[in-house]
Amino acid sequence: MLFHTWTFFIFFIVTIVVFWALRPTRFWLHWILLASAVFYGWWHPYYLLLVFYSTALDYFIVSWMERGPRLAKLGWRFSASVVVLVGAVVVGLMAPGGWGGLAAAVGFFAVVLAVGHWLRSRRAWLWVSIINNLSVLVFFKYAGFAIENLNTLLARLGAGQLPSAESLMPPGWEYVLPVGISFYTFQSMSYTIDFYRGIIAREPSFVRFAAFVTFFPQLVAGPIERAKNLLPQFSKTPRVTLADVSDGASLFLVGLFKKVVLANYLGPYVDRVYGDVATQGGAALALATFAFGWQIYFDFSGYTDMARGVARCMGFRLMLNFRNPYLAVSLADFWSRWHISLSTWFRDYVYIPLGGSRVGRIKLWRNLLITFVVSGLWHGAAWTFLIWGMLHGLGLIANRGLEQAAWWRDRCPRLAKRLVVFAFVCFAWVFFRAESLGQAVEILQRIFTTGWTDPRMPLLLLLLVVSVWVYQFVYESPLHSWLEKPPVKVGLAVVMILWMLLFAPGGGEPFIYFQF
Amino acid sequence: MTHKTGQLPINDSAAVQLSVRQWLCALGLSFGLAWLLPEAWTAFEPFEPVQHYRVPYELSEDYWLYERWLDQIPPDVISVVGDSVVWGEYTAHDGTLSRFLGDATGMPFANAGINGLYPLALWGLVEHHGSALAKRRVLLHCNLLWMSDPEADMQLAKEQVFNHPALVPQFAPRIPCYRGDIDMRLARALERRLEPLSWVRHLQQTYFSQKSAPEWTLADDGKFPPAYPNTYRLPVGIPLSSELPSVKRGLSSERHKPWSANQSGKANMEWVTPENSLQWLAFRRLANRLQGSGSNLLVVVGPLNEHIMNDATLEKHQVFLTAVTAWLSVEGIRFVVPEVLPSDEFADASHPLTEGYERLAKRLVADPVFKTWLAQ
Repeated sequence: MLFHTWTFFIFFIVTIVVFWALRPTRFWLHWILLASAVFYGWWHPYYLLLVFYSTALDYFIVSWMERGPRLAKLGWRFSASVVVLVGAVVVGLMAPGGWGGLAAAVGFFAVVLAVGHWLRSRRAWLWVSIINNLSVLVFFKYAGFAIENLNTLLARLGAGQLPSAESLMPPGWEYVLPVGISFYTFQSMSYTIDFYRGIIAREPSFVRFAAFVTFFPQLVAGPIERAKNLLPQFSKTPRVTLADVSDGASLFLVGLFKKVVLANYLGPYVDRVYGDVATQGGAALALATFAFGWQIYFDFSGYTDMARGVARCMGFRLMLNFRNPYLAVSLADFWSRWHISLSTWFRDYVYIPLGGSRVGRIKLWRNLLITFVVSGLWHGAAWTFLIWGMLHGLGLIANRGLEQAAWWRDRCPRLAKRLVVFAFVCFAWVFFRAESLGQAVEILQRIFTTGWTDPRMPLLLLLLVVSVWVYQFVYESPLHSWLEKPPVKVGLAVVMILWMLLFAPGGGEPFIYFQF
Repeated sequence: MTHKTGQLPINDSAAVQLSVRQWLCALGLSFGLAWLLPEAWTAFEPFEPVQHYRVPYELSEDYWLYERWLDQIPPDVISVVGDSVVWGEYTAHDGTLSRFLGDATGMPFANAGINGLYPLALWGLVEHHGSALAKRRVLLHCNLLWMSDPEADMQLAKEQVFNHPALVPQFAPRIPCYRGDIDMRLARALERRLEPLSWVRHLQQTYFSQKSAPEWTLADDGKFPPAYPNTYRLPVGIPLSSELPSVKRGLSSERHKPWSANQSGKANMEWVTPENSLQWLAFRRLANRLQGSGSNLLVVVGPLNEHIMNDATLEKHQVFLTAVTAWLSVEGIRFVVPEVLPSDEFADASHPLTEGYERLAKRLVADPVFKTWLAQ
């Protein structure tokens, strides 16, 4: 179910009306959980199995983690894990066709759980959670990529081939990447890690915890909320004021405009140019790359705005995820403005555990590179994402060097810095958007070597993007107060509503970040 | 309620954070403008229909224009409503039934048909865009060809692409061959109820080659290698008041010839039963709707090209025709079943040629039921 569809509109009206009606009772939480299940199951009912597996796993692991030292002897849970393991082995050996893959997966999880019960330490349970969560993620997201590359290698060595990831699925089950798996897995994992670190307390209610993980506005594309921020909001009946509803509606309107008018307009232009790289000139490819930079920003931040708006109308406050990233004056600044919930996740759970910035120069570079390569891979299983992450890691290292130089730090105008950062980010987007590494290299070659051809970018599109950029410049300038004047705000809202009514192309194009 | 100032902006790039009062202003202004714009547009966009006007083929899905056309028809003019048989699939705009009825009676008739319609869509057209037909004299054509086989009756479960999907019932009754998803159905159901949305479609049909403005600026010319003619262009529309000269219609067109010239043999049509026919049920709703809104209604059933039918088909046709006339009689709706036209005056199974329309008009005018209806 996409936010910018009539189906969602009706779903939301029903959900919010019942939610408001149930607020005086204790059932509002159950209602959110049910609505979230309907929202997510709308794509594919079997996705629900995965999200509830991930939720239940972390809920129980934290519970065992809390009671771990008190569980002095091996209890029935260990025996149950062993029984499940034996059962999985038997089924795996006897079951026909693809059921063996599922049996192997169940067996694997049973082994991990049995080890957890055997060791019964907080650290062991933390690893059980991480291994379980990442295994599911790796299977659905990276198995195809890994097997393909391994088979290439094995073929060169003359060895046999590994079975495809599809063949490991039970008969009749499609091997598709469940929408939003990377988001909710990270959210659920952060709860376990934060509990392990003593940052948060255990959530005793399964329903509340499940509502936190599966909360429908942010389930499929974030923001990746932390338990510390969102979970307490589920502990008491949300207070919804008229201001919450108007703020939520404002966020939703802006998000809808970004998605329906801007991202969906830029998309076909980018697809056209990137779909026929060989005949495009440098100007067209460069312009399409800039266009993609804006497309992905409007698409993803539009989704986030809508998610935050929907949550706000229900009295929940989701974290800010984007803050005018293309006005960043350095790459570090960019990452404090772009996909903030993910960049802070990697900062807290990867970069800082590696040592963060409080290490020597070489280790710092290593930490940055590792963090950004992992961040690149989080986006997808492809060499292009890996290179994209690596480029940002290298860019940050270079940026730190530049910041040491007085001419850059003190004398270079902010506008120039912004343009340099924008150009670099767009350069990296080439790898993010390209179909393959080869195509990315070809695009870059053509950008710098081919002559002028008419990019055929519609004037209207160019005007729209430039207007938004100018708006953002004004927004972060001393003229900002002018944008806060009621007639300006009302005027902008009217323009957005009428534009969507008159000019928005039809069709519910999916959001780019759903694929991650 | 106003917003507290000094709070952190709720948004990243836009922060158009409206208070409740500002929201009310914005919504009032937006919806006010949205409802005023179509009205204001009529002053800006000239529409002076030529004699024997019909909605141009290219604008068949421009239902806002259709409404505008109906609104422009004076109350004393009789509207002829129907599908491409009324519209004149093979003829020029001055070779249609409404034109010859006017000639034969000396009274004004208007072509209120649209190309590509069928009873299920015709019902939607009248229901949502035909309010001007209320309390007027309406000649409604019933084309039984739509009930002549399950596919035409839209009963097959296999997905089918058809004209005017925005006009058919979106949810009930269920059309088995219509596979639009819920979003599409909801959007279509809304579009036909909200005038601003119909007007937007009018703009798209007339100025943007049936696309939204952004899609139009991105559209290619369909050739290889493609060119993008609209990138820097301003939109230019299709003439509203007349139609573009067509090589596909009119006396001098190649298509304007008897069906037998195509050397196609006799057809076997399966026919559906009147009880199960989606198209017939839709036609019944349509006739009741028109009668209920105070229209002075006359239904003309057929004629179909019986020369094209084999014996078995003819028999089934007669059975269906009997059921149709029986229902019309029970409902107290005036109707005429004209005698079948000569074979060489049909272009296909249901569409007459120009001569056919002329003959049909004369036959109708001679019919006592028609005469009584006209005299009222």
